[in-house]
Amino acid sequence: MPEENLLKVSKIDVFYGGLQALWDISLNVKFGEIVAIIGANGAGKSTLLNVISGVIHPQVGSIEYDGKNITTLEPFQVVALGICQVPEAGRVFPNMTVLDNLIIGSYNRNARPQREENLQHVFRHFPILGERRNQLGKTLSGGERQMLAIGRGLMSNPKLMLFDEMSLGLSPIVINELYRVLREIRARGIAIILVEQNVRRSLKEADRAYILECGRVTLSGKTEDLGEEEKVRKAYFGVCK
Amino acid sequence: MGLDIFMNLSTPIAMGILLGGLYALIALGLSLVFGVMKLINIAHGDLVLLSSYLAFTMMTGLGIDPIISLVIGMPVLFVVGFAIQRYLLSRAFRISMEAPLIIAFGISIILQNLYQILWTPLSRGLTTSYALESISYGALRLPLVYLLDFIVAIVVMFILREFLRRTYLGKAINAASQDRGTAQLMGINTNRVYAFAFAIAMVFAAIAGVFLGLTFPFTPQSGVSFLIIAFGVVVLGGLGSIVGTFIGGLVMGLAQTLGGYFLGASAQMLVAYLIVLVALGVKPQGIFGR
Amino acid sequence: MKVNLPRLKGGLAPLIAITVVLATFPLIGAPQSWLLYLFLFFIYLALANMWNLLAGYCGLISLCQPAFIGLGGYTLAILVWIGLPLYVGLIAGAIVAALFAVLISIPVFRLSGIYFAVGTLIVPEILRIVFLIWRPVGGLLYGKGAGYAVKGATLVSSAETYWLALIICIGSVLLMRFILRSNLGLGLAAIRDNDGTAASVGINVFKSKLYSFVISAFITGLAGAAFYISQGFIEPTSAFNVKWTMILMLAPVIGGIRIEEGPAVGAIIVVILHFLLARYGGVSLLIQGIILIIIMLLAPQGIMGSIRRLGTSRSYRALWRLTTGR
Repeated sequence: MPEENLLKVSKIDVFYGGLQALWDISLNVKFGEIVAIIGANGAGKSTLLNVISGVIHPQVGSIEYDGKNITTLEPFQVVALGICQVPEAGRVFPNMTVLDNLIIGSYNRNARPQREENLQHVFRHFPILGERRNQLGKTLSGGERQMLAIGRGLMSNPKLMLFDEMSLGLSPIVINELYRVLREIRARGIAIILVEQNVRRSLKEADRAYILECGRVTLSGKTEDLGEEEKVRKAYFGVCK
Repeated sequence: MGLDIFMNLSTPIAMGILLGGLYALIALGLSLVFGVMKLINIAHGDLVLLSSYLAFTMMTGLGIDPIISLVIGMPVLFVVGFAIQRYLLSRAFRISMEAPLIIAFGISIILQNLYQILWTPLSRGLTTSYALESISYGALRLPLVYLLDFIVAIVVMFILREFLRRTYLGKAINAASQDRGTAQLMGINTNRVYAFAFAIAMVFAAIAGVFLGLTFPFTPQSGVSFLIIAFGVVVLGGLGSIVGTFIGGLVMGLAQTLGGYFLGASAQMLVAYLIVLVALGVKPQGIFGR
Repeated sequence: MKVNLPRLKGGLAPLIAITVVLATFPLIGAPQSWLLYLFLFFIYLALANMWNLLAGYCGLISLCQPAFIGLGGYTLAILVWIGLPLYVGLIAGAIVAALFAVLISIPVFRLSGIYFAVGTLIVPEILRIVFLIWRPVGGLLYGKGAGYAVKGATLVSSAETYWLALIICIGSVLLMRFILRSNLGLGLAAIRDNDGTAASVGINVFKSKLYSFVISAFITGLAGAAFYISQGFIEPTSAFNVKWTMILMLAPVIGGIRIEEGPAVGAIIVVILHFLLARYGGVSLLIQGIILIIIMLLAPQGIMGSIRRLGTSRSYRALWRLTTGR
């Protein structure tokens, strides 16, 4: 039976700094899907992304990607397989130029041959990056940094992109721009996990969603089914100990 | 009368500038390691000295010219550097904050003792025919080696700058030094990059060691002065700026030659060392630092 | 498997008992070599305690200690040269070292841990050169270089230097215990954890570090001067030599950094090591360096730390592995 899941996280327990952060988490992402993970601060969303990226490793459970077990891989190996994370606030390299930031995005050997091609794609998605290509990362505005971070992620030839709080602190116009590009990315066949506090927008754009509360998945399903759920609203306002 | 002093000063000033190039060269490796790993490699001076001693052995034992011997010396230092970072320092970083410093200290002491055993406490030097020649220009009489040091330093600094700017590894080193976590998310194997950065730093140390040996005599304890000089250059010139390193080198070189000129040969290092302390007190990040 | 160890922290009684026993050694006719090695042990322990204070509790890896040792010794030598009594020279040596610490704290404390270590490395080097070319009081040169004989040192019996060292050593132990229980100690624990956080809860980071630095300089200078009373002469290259740093770093590392009894256990081992390596002077530092690295990599908690670790249950060890990253 052909595997329709690109990513399959199975019953993972994750500890961070000596304390348990995630309990028995299972989720999956199909090819070409947009999956949203929603939850309040401290729910464990960033931790979850870091586990998928290989920065933290689960104590229990497994992660399967494109048929491979990637549970214990190092971050650079995960990137080479096609999963890339766009970290919170972008985290562009402040003292490197926009162009260098993008180039370093194609560091892994699988992505290097397509560097020029991918650069053109990125400049098409974000023309302003092309204009500012020789400027240092730290001179960019918040929205531009996020664009650069996304562009940098695209340079690695990903099949799955993880977005950590993409719209945090940005104006609605910029957020709109970013979501437009998100759709363009999806149109290219790249699957997306979207971690957001902006519940409404992310539910609008995603196919499916998982609600994370205090390190556990409390609700999941198609976004059209979840829309009105009381729990979703609760998750947004909830506070975790 | 005034002109006289000026004419006399011109030699130490010129020599100080030329020496500055060499000092910047010594500091390159230290600066690279510090920029990437935030570690001041206390053993840096002793590793530079390793290159001097290797060149010495190849010169006296096999008759190979020291500069030519770099063909062997550079790979040797590369491997040594790679091994130290990969097997000792990377583990130390995971253990505690103090561990890398203590390990580096241990390496430094081991090397110093090793040199004493293998090459005795006698002062050694890479005395080749050209190491003793001088060039005259007007009232200036400059040792040829100083000029050679300076040219080599400029070339090497240029090569390093281009390497960091243009190659993937160079960019990765740059990225990893700015934000290690994000660099990992970009697919950079930071452990390997660190090892390479250290190894490359050692290659520069190898070059510095040979030219130092051509310029000055050295003993097993010379490593400490090399370290302090390199550290001074880094403090004065700041990190992340090769130009800054160059300027830092100039200041240290001038401090030494002018200090020696006005206070006597035995005090010349003293002036340089004191300047480092003063600079530390005034601006630890360096003049060009970020 | 839980192992219950008697802890030194419990009361002064064991300490007093040991001190009294050790104090009687010269009186009961213990062999000279014993006295000598115990003397070294006392000096090394005092030095090691002070390094532990800085490195283990303040997060300051000080490579500066030889400066204080040498200054203590030279102050002593100079003052007795101009006619002052030996013990005045001794105390003065400690004071000079402490004042010097205040002086260099200005440049050196602006630095974070990384810069600090090298910054402190420069200081003994500067002093070494200074004392090589500066002869403050004229006269007899011992051997070559700017060495001085310590006048009147030969009149001091080995028993007296033994007791002197014992007092300094016990003093350092009591001082450590006192500091760690005081407000200074609490502050240091916070600083070691995180400078910025400590500052934000109102701890004067600079002052705490300064006090510790000056105190350590005082005791180190005192121990150094006592050493030179026993040795009878001083010269710059060995006074400001990095071999001191190796000794006073190796002891806490072997015994356990940040553990009160660590330096004591380590100092015993270092003295034994010196005894074993006495015949192999040429490789002594080499071997010590190798031991330092091996211990730091394989048993960074030192002997006392490892013993404590053995007494914990398996799940706690698992948690430890997690917190140190996989």
